[in-house]
Amino acid sequence: MKLAYYPGCTAHGSAVEIDVATRKVAQTLGVELKEVEDWNCCGGGFLDERDPVGHAAINLRNLSKVEKMGLEKMVTPCSVCLHSHRLAVHKYEEDPVLKEEVDKRTQGTTVQYSGKANAEHIVWVLLRDVGLEKIKAAVKKPLVGLKVATYYGCQMLRPGEVMGFEDPHSPHSLADLVAAVGATPVTFPAMTYCCGFPLMGSNEKGGLRLAYNIMKGARDAGADLLIHPCSLCHLQLDVTQVKVRDMFSLDWTMPAIYATQLLALAFGFSPEEVQLGRNAAEVLRQKGLI
Amino acid sequence: MKELDKEVKVKVKRFSEEKGTWWQEYTVKVDKYTQMTEVLKRIKEEQDPTLSYRASCHMAVCGSCGMRINGAPRLACRTIALEEVDRTGSDTIVVEPMDGYPVLKDLVVDLTDFYNRMYKVKPRLHPSEDVLKGKSEHRLKPEDQSRLWKFAQCIWCGLCVSSCPAVRIDVEFLGPAAHAKGYRFLSDPRDTSFEERAKVLIDSAWRCTYCYMCYEVCPRDIEPVEAIKLTRTYTTKFGPTGDASSFGERHSKAVEESIAETGMLQGGKVYVKTYGLVNSLISMIELMKDGKATKLIMERQKKVRGIDELRKLLGEKQ
Repeated sequence: MKLAYYPGCTAHGSAVEIDVATRKVAQTLGVELKEVEDWNCCGGGFLDERDPVGHAAINLRNLSKVEKMGLEKMVTPCSVCLHSHRLAVHKYEEDPVLKEEVDKRTQGTTVQYSGKANAEHIVWVLLRDVGLEKIKAAVKKPLVGLKVATYYGCQMLRPGEVMGFEDPHSPHSLADLVAAVGATPVTFPAMTYCCGFPLMGSNEKGGLRLAYNIMKGARDAGADLLIHPCSLCHLQLDVTQVKVRDMFSLDWTMPAIYATQLLALAFGFSPEEVQLGRNAAEVLRQKGLI
Repeated sequence: MKELDKEVKVKVKRFSEEKGTWWQEYTVKVDKYTQMTEVLKRIKEEQDPTLSYRASCHMAVCGSCGMRINGAPRLACRTIALEEVDRTGSDTIVVEPMDGYPVLKDLVVDLTDFYNRMYKVKPRLHPSEDVLKGKSEHRLKPEDQSRLWKFAQCIWCGLCVSSCPAVRIDVEFLGPAAHAKGYRFLSDPRDTSFEERAKVLIDSAWRCTYCYMCYEVCPRDIEPVEAIKLTRTYTTKFGPTGDASSFGERHSKAVEESIAETGMLQGGKVYVKTYGLVNSLISMIELMKDGKATKLIMERQKKVRGIDELRKLLGEKQ
């Protein structure tokens, strides 16, 4: 299976482990990820309000490249990139005034979007196109005894009419993946709430408080660590977790790893190979899994 | 029982001041048209007169019957019982009061906090003196009408506020419904209180997390988060009105500049532009504790080769 691949700025920058693990998982499962050549940023969740036309136009630039590759699915590991592209397509199709403006901007450029290509989340592709049976068959080291909180966040789920993969109020895609690698999925009430990242540029304390709610929710539900589906959730829950711990004077951690990092570990890759954070590695060591 | 009728179990989270909280199950016959308000009416009339809930119009206009149905914030009148059975694959439909508000009895919650948020944005048109004295009349262009229409459809059901994560952690955030209503008047060319409204709305708009929960749960398809995004755009013209809008505007501008400059979002650079060098260094030192700081410094993003084309798509902004 060959798919266009859009890592997004963060997976090419400060959360490179997401890119590394996603490529390893895809390779193991026989999925060829063909990176979109010279792709650009999706707008990071903020550009659409400042320049709705520019936002749609630059997202269509990426999707137009996918169409030129003869492909339709552009898979990304980042929920914000997913959301941005799918929302751009949705608005382009629904709003004739915006469409006219976008078409004016794309005139005379290489952007030619026919409406066939769209963004897809790597989790959707793994479940729908690869299938749980194939994933289970690839497991070399079942993560038995590991309790994994499944944190979905916002943008992979909502708006449901634009994302369209699963029920945004009772998702189970991540739980299915966790169970497939032999670990125990742990659900918790805050699993579809915001991680707080979008607030980090305007109300940092508020953002950290939201991150705390996720960490605490996972801990109260008895999880050893949590998995998430988004590069920006990764920045918030993994990279800046230390700030949350300082703000709330916590003496515990809640390691947050990307969904494909968990899969790659079960497929036999070492913690070093998937660039696992030291807190997560410590938990796995305690559980005798590495 | 008619051929198409089915029995469903309805599990209601009940509450009274005397007895506290408990769960109670009822069995009700429904057909493919039966709304959840009808289900609750049958329970109250035929089985248990002590069950309390609010409902009135049964057609998504009055906004009375907001509650959680199988975990989702919904209007009971817009929820068909058998569609819930299909959605969840279970014959039991779980009904709870809305989150985020004090429960008065069973499914009835106290909406005082919601109304207070709405009153803060003065949810009515403030016409000019001339219009009030009958010397002139209101004119509204069709394009303004169509822009405002969506945001004027709020029925004050409270579902968006009940499910909003930012409302729970930030007293200075007005919440989605008040923002939709506020934007509807902020951008109404007939209104005379622009400055007053801008002062109330702009900083609060930067306290939204863009989680799209309000978009998801609104039974009138208002998309309050869109109103919040549009309100933020007034920051450039009007100026920030507090810390959130001051940092937020800097941050968004830095994101825009980063994309126009390189075609990529350079996280570290955006952070420094938003919070300044000193604060960024303090953050960096903090991140060293978990061994994360080097990752931010070592960002290996490249510039997009087609940057000239990208700038054209962005309207030639540099």
